[in-house]
Amino acid sequence: MMMKKFLNVLFAATLVLSVHCGKGKEASREEEGQDDQEAQTATVAATTASTAPVAAGGGAAAPVSADAATVTGVVKLAAAPPKMPALQMAADPYCQSQHTAPVLDEEVVTGPGGELANVFVYIKQVSGNYPAPSTPVVIDQHGCQYRPHALALQVGQPLQIKNSDATLHNIHALPSVNPQFNEGQPVQGMVSTKKFDKPEITPFRIKCDVHGWMKAYMAVMPHPFYSISQGNGSFTIANLPPGQYTIVAWHEKYGQQEQQLTVGAKESKAVNFTFKG
Amino acid sequence: MKPQEPIPHNYSMRGLNLIFALSSIGLLMATGLIVGYDYVRGWKWFQREFMRMQQERIESDLRAAQLETNKTQLADLDRRVRENEVDIARHRDQYVLAQKDLDRWEGEHYAADQDFRFAKARLDAQRYIAEASVVEKRSDGPRQLAEYKRQDRHFNDLVLRLQDVTRKRDAAKARVDVWLGKIKTEEDKRKELTASVDLLNKQLQTVQLTGPNLILNLPMLDFVNPTFKVDQVVLSDLFVDVNYMHVPRVDRCMTCHRAIDRPGFESKKEAARLTQELQQKLDSFQIAQEKRKDVEDRIAQLKRIEDAPQDTLNPWRTHPKLDLFVGSASPHPLLDFGCTACHRGQDRATEFGRAGHVPASPRMERRWASAVSTLLPGPWDYNKRHWAWEENPFNETPMYPRQYYEAGCIKCHSGQTWVDQGDEINKATSTVELYGCYACHKINNWRFTDLRRPGPDLNGIAEKTTPEWAFRWISEPHNFRSTTRMPSFFYQRNMIDPSVVPAPEREQNIRYQDAEIHSLVTYLFSKSSHRPWQPPAGAGDAGRGKQLVESVGCMACHIDSEWLKDEKSGQNRLARRDDYPLERNYGFNLTGVGTKTHAAWIYNWVKNPKNYYADAPMPSLRLTDQEAADVTAFLLTLQKPQFMTSTIRPPDPAAVHDLAKGYLVNTLSDRDAEAKLRAMPLHDQLVFLGQRSIEKYGCYSCHNIKGFEGLKPIGTELTVEGSKALHLFDFGFVHDYISAEDGKHEHIQDNVASWVYNKVRNPRIYDDKRTKTYGDKLKMPNFHLTQDEARRITMVVLGLTKDLVAPEKMAALDSRSRLMEEGRKRVSQHNCRGCHVVDGKGRAIASTIADTNFLPPDLSPEGSRAQSPWLFNFLKDPTVMKIRPWLNVRMPTFHFTDQETNTLVTFFAEEGKAAQFDTMRAMHLPAANVVIGKTVFDMLRCAQCHVMAPVDPENPPKPTVADTTSLAPNLTLAKLRLRHDWIADWIRRPNEMIPGTRMPTNFPRDAATGGFQSPLAMAIDTPQFAQYKSRLLPYFRGDEKELRRTMTDAVALTDYLRDYIWSIGINQMRAASPDGEVPTVLQPSTPATPAMPALKSGRLERVQAGRGGGR
Repeated sequence: MMMKKFLNVLFAATLVLSVHCGKGKEASREEEGQDDQEAQTATVAATTASTAPVAAGGGAAAPVSADAATVTGVVKLAAAPPKMPALQMAADPYCQSQHTAPVLDEEVVTGPGGELANVFVYIKQVSGNYPAPSTPVVIDQHGCQYRPHALALQVGQPLQIKNSDATLHNIHALPSVNPQFNEGQPVQGMVSTKKFDKPEITPFRIKCDVHGWMKAYMAVMPHPFYSISQGNGSFTIANLPPGQYTIVAWHEKYGQQEQQLTVGAKESKAVNFTFKG
Repeated sequence: MKPQEPIPHNYSMRGLNLIFALSSIGLLMATGLIVGYDYVRGWKWFQREFMRMQQERIESDLRAAQLETNKTQLADLDRRVRENEVDIARHRDQYVLAQKDLDRWEGEHYAADQDFRFAKARLDAQRYIAEASVVEKRSDGPRQLAEYKRQDRHFNDLVLRLQDVTRKRDAAKARVDVWLGKIKTEEDKRKELTASVDLLNKQLQTVQLTGPNLILNLPMLDFVNPTFKVDQVVLSDLFVDVNYMHVPRVDRCMTCHRAIDRPGFESKKEAARLTQELQQKLDSFQIAQEKRKDVEDRIAQLKRIEDAPQDTLNPWRTHPKLDLFVGSASPHPLLDFGCTACHRGQDRATEFGRAGHVPASPRMERRWASAVSTLLPGPWDYNKRHWAWEENPFNETPMYPRQYYEAGCIKCHSGQTWVDQGDEINKATSTVELYGCYACHKINNWRFTDLRRPGPDLNGIAEKTTPEWAFRWISEPHNFRSTTRMPSFFYQRNMIDPSVVPAPEREQNIRYQDAEIHSLVTYLFSKSSHRPWQPPAGAGDAGRGKQLVESVGCMACHIDSEWLKDEKSGQNRLARRDDYPLERNYGFNLTGVGTKTHAAWIYNWVKNPKNYYADAPMPSLRLTDQEAADVTAFLLTLQKPQFMTSTIRPPDPAAVHDLAKGYLVNTLSDRDAEAKLRAMPLHDQLVFLGQRSIEKYGCYSCHNIKGFEGLKPIGTELTVEGSKALHLFDFGFVHDYISAEDGKHEHIQDNVASWVYNKVRNPRIYDDKRTKTYGDKLKMPNFHLTQDEARRITMVVLGLTKDLVAPEKMAALDSRSRLMEEGRKRVSQHNCRGCHVVDGKGRAIASTIADTNFLPPDLSPEGSRAQSPWLFNFLKDPTVMKIRPWLNVRMPTFHFTDQETNTLVTFFAEEGKAAQFDTMRAMHLPAANVVIGKTVFDMLRCAQCHVMAPVDPENPPKPTVADTTSLAPNLTLAKLRLRHDWIADWIRRPNEMIPGTRMPTNFPRDAATGGFQSPLAMAIDTPQFAQYKSRLLPYFRGDEKELRRTMTDAVALTDYLRDYIWSIGINQMRAASPDGEVPTVLQPSTPATPAMPALKSGRLERVQAGRGGGR
């Protein structure tokens, strides 16, 4: 006991002496190692979110390097395309009156050679800041269908929602990262504008609660390197800086595919995707 | 003087001097050591380190501030000051002249001012003299009056002169100011620019250990006003029990935890979490306009923490939930609640070990305990988070380890079923409620009293199942259903595990356990009633039955699968309870129900469970006979034949005899006991043993068993278990073991939390290495808890303390809260959250209904939405109104008592801050409002989804269209159901009241101002709307401007809509008559065997004698 006290007094002296030393902090980081790890992942997640460009407004497109490459390709469905059911629009006579022929569900839209439309093709990660263009992306409600069925825009880029029908539509977007919204558009020709602050690369659904068959998919991209396959299955991603990338194709029914991709300066590269179905 | 003879003495003066000198030095050193020992305290080091951290932070802020300061602007100002000084010097003669002029006029002004003041005084005096002499009619009256008039004229001259001189002086001053003023304004500007830097410099002085700070902290001088000092908070209404008296808490934790209430010292992990939280609040307009700037600043601060090179460590971290605790604006400010009220620990201690810190895991314990030397703690250890810590068995209130922090909520929040933002504690108390811990362990606490029995009624067991099934079930319930809450009593670790029980004892234990299970089954079946349940009249369709079970709402409380794919391994595995929401564990897992029981019983049970057992928690889903037959047919297909194949060993008569005798010898002599047993056939012996075994294991605590009413629950009372001293827990001889649940190694730490955790996870563990007789072994059954479940139950046990809290600090004690809490308890007891969102949580059924359009309603706004009389009727008898007739899921009939229904209605009304009764139904509506409302209704095309034709509330027609996703409630029912004010509010902000609702937002908020915008503002002038415009104009007396203004006013428009909806509402609906739903209850037949005579000895008798009997 005496010994302990004596040593405590020694400690006194040391403490006074150590007033200006405070080194050796590194070792202490060992504390709750798990915590630190989590902290790091959290930081990474947070910075990813924060590097997203805030609405640029200026509309100046991203500076295109002289070396920029172009990626083009075609998405195909290997299996025979499933027979899409005809939409039952009887619930709203107006919608029915807008179509003479039966309208098919747009879940799977294929060309004659199995070319798959409405596939989101994008580069997974690209470094650098890409200010959003100020030109709006338009989604039109026309004939009680969304035009287009698949769309993407950049973080901060305005989305114009238009109702071309003389009936009530409500646009109910179901994003998981951005705040969801559900707005009624009772007036023909009405236009609302929305912006998305955070990237949401996996497309989310947009629905109309009045017309259960109406569906669209939308993605919010942190960069401009994306494309949506056309009716002939083709897509083009232009102005891509040279480098190594992962290119992803996403379809609402057939899910996701990835490919590794290296593009050189000014290269025009072809990448094709085939979904098994 | 003659020198004195030296006095001869027989001791050496030299020696004495030496001793004196040495002891003086010794005493001086001892004094020094005492002062030093008193001076050196561990907490000073933490304070010094914190000062260093602050210093670093201020210095970096200072650098940033200096960078920010506009250098060019500053230099420009300095230059101009210099230029002006040069200018003055150059025109010195002019400046001096101006200054001289000013001096002269200042003098003149002073003189004039003096003259003026004296003259005024004299004038006043003269006026009195003149007045007095006139009134008194003295002879000098006229003279005095003349003198007064003369002085008055003189005074007027002086006033004019003073004004003249003042003007001249001001002119002179202005001339001088032209020279000086420039310099002064520029110096002011300079101060403004450097204000933040100056402030930081001032702050820096307070955290630097130099100059005055150094002297203030010197030993012996530090009694004045040292910067190192013990900080404390005195809490006069939260008490520490020091045996025989309660003293106020004095929390000194902040002596070391310096930054606990200062934002800016969060860990990186917390900073990331908070950033996300605040950003979300900003995005969703939850923060008032004037506070947005503050929140943005805070986010910037947190971002800096995330980007900082080093993480802040404890004890210097900020409390991670300042908005909830510690913060001055939080509900638990530091000055009112301190620290130990929630965390426990020794409030007055200022040393790590004495404060009662408890490590959360064995790994943490090893780190804390390590040190270079336990005798010499210091920075070399502190820097590595080594605290030379050792368990202090004499500390009666150690802190809660990290995973049990929320245990501290219970002492003040025990009057609440639902603690706002207390996710963990809510889950913990719900887990205790679900498992029914309160049934065996009395918990004298509002939260855990007045709850239902956790197990089913056993008085009709023979009607339901067979003795063979019951035997196998009691033996090992988990073999039948992996998710069951019925615990395993038999063949547990302390009875049969070869690693702890030697072989011969094991053999005997198995025979004894077999005999006990046989006795339980025999007893229960011999006492059971035998009511003749009728099987369904027609054949059921299992396919339709499956559809019904999956769609009418069964899945809110039940699970119907036992195998699922493990997310990690991808392999199929048995389901665990925590694979499903708590609510879906409320009922049993439906798998195997066809093996357990038979068609007639199921049919009558699903028709109405109250037929079988009046207190059955399951409500009636009002199935028709055909539906019930279909459901029965489906449930019968859920078979588990393999369960019935295990062998049942017949009871060993010797074992039955031994065990029965063991009870008899308590009151009889060995000889009499033997004689009595000889007279009993084996069946009777089993019935006798069964009765005693039910007592022994406490089956009656959870199950309703006739003859055991009013017995005390079997387990230890837990009311103040969290305050029980460590030495009262029997740790036995076990420290490490392999858990049978998951095969993982477990280490039992020397603290109460660890003891309880291991007890609930492996209830028989403390029998390891003990020598006990069969009857003395631990009896607590095994619930096969997962780690999380065990942790949550431990949390509640630790939180049940005898800590005294003044009533003012108790949560939810006011009368309104009491009403709400009673309702919340009923919500929890009837599992309302299985289907509905209540208090923002619940709707477990959502995962089983594919289309979110067909979910049961979110009840978050129910109090402000539904009229109380309607709600009362509907809860009593949901058939009075079908709001959405196209839904498959049904609101069941619970057969609530009037009192229960009132409790629930009151809860909703209070939660919605709405009066229970109002006069809105009788409101008179102006005809114009209705017409305008109807027009707005048409313009917004509300009828696209809402049905408007009046219907019979009880039997509205099923919708004719195939696609029902777009249907919305019939608005003619609104007047009976909805509150008047709520309707308009709902139309304005549906997505804010129920996020994700299908009701579209027609009046979106302006992102900048937060006000509502109207879509009709623009539309009214379009050609499409011409007809509406012409319909509306007469109601605005033809005033187009007024019409347009109204069309932009969302509040006015929604009020018109409400008036219109009100005007079309039907006024009549049937009153609740739930009794019509209840089929005739069958009378129970007499049991097959005569009732047992009352117990002659043992537990029951002791209880009746009023002495109780703790086991």
